[in-house]
Amino acid sequence: MILNLFYFLAFLSVICSFMVVTARNPVHSVLYLIITFFTIGCQYLILNAQFLAAVHIIVYAGAIMVLFLYVIMLLNLNQTTEVHKSNYAKFAAAIASGLLLLVMVSSLKGADLLSNALPQNSQVGLIENLGKILFNSFLLPFELSAILFLAAMVGAVLIGKNEVK
Amino acid sequence: MKSIIILSGLGALTLFSEIINFKKWLYPIILLGLLACIGFAIKDWGAPAHHFYNNMMVFDNIAIAFTILLCSIVFFWLILAKDFLTHETHLTDHLSLILFASVGAMMMVCYGNLVMLFLGIETLSIPMYIMAGSKKNSLNSNESALKYFLMGAFATGFLLYGIALIYGVTGAFHLHTIADYVVAERGNYPMMFYTGILFILIGLSFKVSAFPFQFWAPDVYTGAPTMVTAFMSTIVKTAAFAAFYRLFNSCFAGVGDVWIKMVIAMSVATLLIGNIGAIIQTNLKRMLAYSAIAHAGYLLIGIASINLTSGNDSSSGNTIFYYTLAYSIGSLISFGILYNVANSTESDSIEAFNGLGKRNPFLAFAMTISLLSLAGIPPMAGFFGKYYLFLSAIHQGKIWLVMFAVLASLIGIYYYLKVIIAMYFKPQENLPSVVVKEYHKPTIAFLLIILVALGLAPELFIKLF
Repeated sequence: MILNLFYFLAFLSVICSFMVVTARNPVHSVLYLIITFFTIGCQYLILNAQFLAAVHIIVYAGAIMVLFLYVIMLLNLNQTTEVHKSNYAKFAAAIASGLLLLVMVSSLKGADLLSNALPQNSQVGLIENLGKILFNSFLLPFELSAILFLAAMVGAVLIGKNEVK
Repeated sequence: MKSIIILSGLGALTLFSEIINFKKWLYPIILLGLLACIGFAIKDWGAPAHHFYNNMMVFDNIAIAFTILLCSIVFFWLILAKDFLTHETHLTDHLSLILFASVGAMMMVCYGNLVMLFLGIETLSIPMYIMAGSKKNSLNSNESALKYFLMGAFATGFLLYGIALIYGVTGAFHLHTIADYVVAERGNYPMMFYTGILFILIGLSFKVSAFPFQFWAPDVYTGAPTMVTAFMSTIVKTAAFAAFYRLFNSCFAGVGDVWIKMVIAMSVATLLIGNIGAIIQTNLKRMLAYSAIAHAGYLLIGIASINLTSGNDSSSGNTIFYYTLAYSIGSLISFGILYNVANSTESDSIEAFNGLGKRNPFLAFAMTISLLSLAGIPPMAGFFGKYYLFLSAIHQGKIWLVMFAVLASLIGIYYYLKVIIAMYFKPQENLPSVVVKEYHKPTIAFLLIILVALGLAPELFIKLF
């Protein structure tokens, strides 16, 4: 049952992410991207990682997608203004991403042997366990990410601010 | 650890100084703080490795040496960039970004966990994207920031995917656990592990601008304001190579037969691209950008000569340290001089240096010394940097690589000499005299003394750890 659900969601996310690339209309493309994020969020739920699923939906489908839509609307992108890449560039991109796909897929070779190597704990993705790990062994990276966010915030304000000279 | 706390505190203080209005004392306080960082780091020298917070950070001698090096470069950079920061940017905001970037650089030299490596790289990169675009009215600066951001984000994706794959195989982010896994499973790794190493290698070589991921560097370095370029080509490169060395020496030495060939190929191609590219440039900033790529190629030789059989041999780490030391000081001097010359003549081109030997003998002399050091002419520090790098590569049996690198550095001498010839033998044609900021002269002179001293006594620095 769970396996069938997994295959269904995986199929849906592959189809949708394919549509993201091929859709002519940028707004449609973004909407397909939202569906992709939702299917991936459901995958996290199947893995019993509710917190990760919620954060994934809130951050990606919520914040980042709104940003995407804003940018698309501000730039006023539509089919007529779309820049057409030369065939040469398309060919090079296809070769490069094809090779990348090959490397990624081939890296799965022999991966299933490992599923028994690591201790299995179905409760590991719950928010309680996550918090315990975050505030014990990963306390330092957690605190230092504050510096990262502060720097990013200062930078965002600097970019957005009007120059008064 | 103390340096990270001090620098983060200083960064926050800088932001607050806007509210409570003590901008006048800000610069001295920050410089004193950096001196304190250096002092604390020197005090810890030689002690057995400290482990902080569940091995998130490991302060061994290599980490301390790189911490001192980075703090000193930030110290001198801040003095040289004071004019730029006060007049061309929003002082407090950009200053705090620089301090946060330095925190990221500190994290990159002392991490004991891949999560810390990732956080360090991001904390260093994000302020740099913004600094690259700090001249908002300049189209080049905007282009530079956008290119740097897009390429950097792309590289981060690869790095993160690689870390995830390594975690998938070993079940750990800790460097020592991964190293234990590599020893325990000798030759019996799944494919995923190799892909993980490959992706981490791609992510890091983006950051150090090694071939085939060097294409962003010339545009970004040329477009960014000169002092920001100086920061990028000294601190970012030093921190990235320290991180590169730490990861591949402590974790992946056991699987060296997989990645060392790639690193050698990258090194050869980077040397070729960097040196050939620099020859045809007429803009000095762009030439220095290509020369930064070429120096990344030399430093990759240091990575390629990591001792795969003995885990305790850190001689190649020491050569990388010495090389980055000599390279950082040399390029800091040349960028500082370029900033002054470009400010007076409003041009970055080599022609702006015509007749500098007569217009400003001190600057011309300092530029000559630093360029000769970058080119690797004996008895300069840059020569000994290359010499020890090549020596450690020969010890590891990489004779062909060294022969190629020697040829490449011969090409390098040509374009560095081009600038020196322009300064002493080209006539000056209505070029305005160069006004040097009053505090720049003693700083450049002091850096010059360090550079010469490094070349006179390389033995002191080459057997540090």
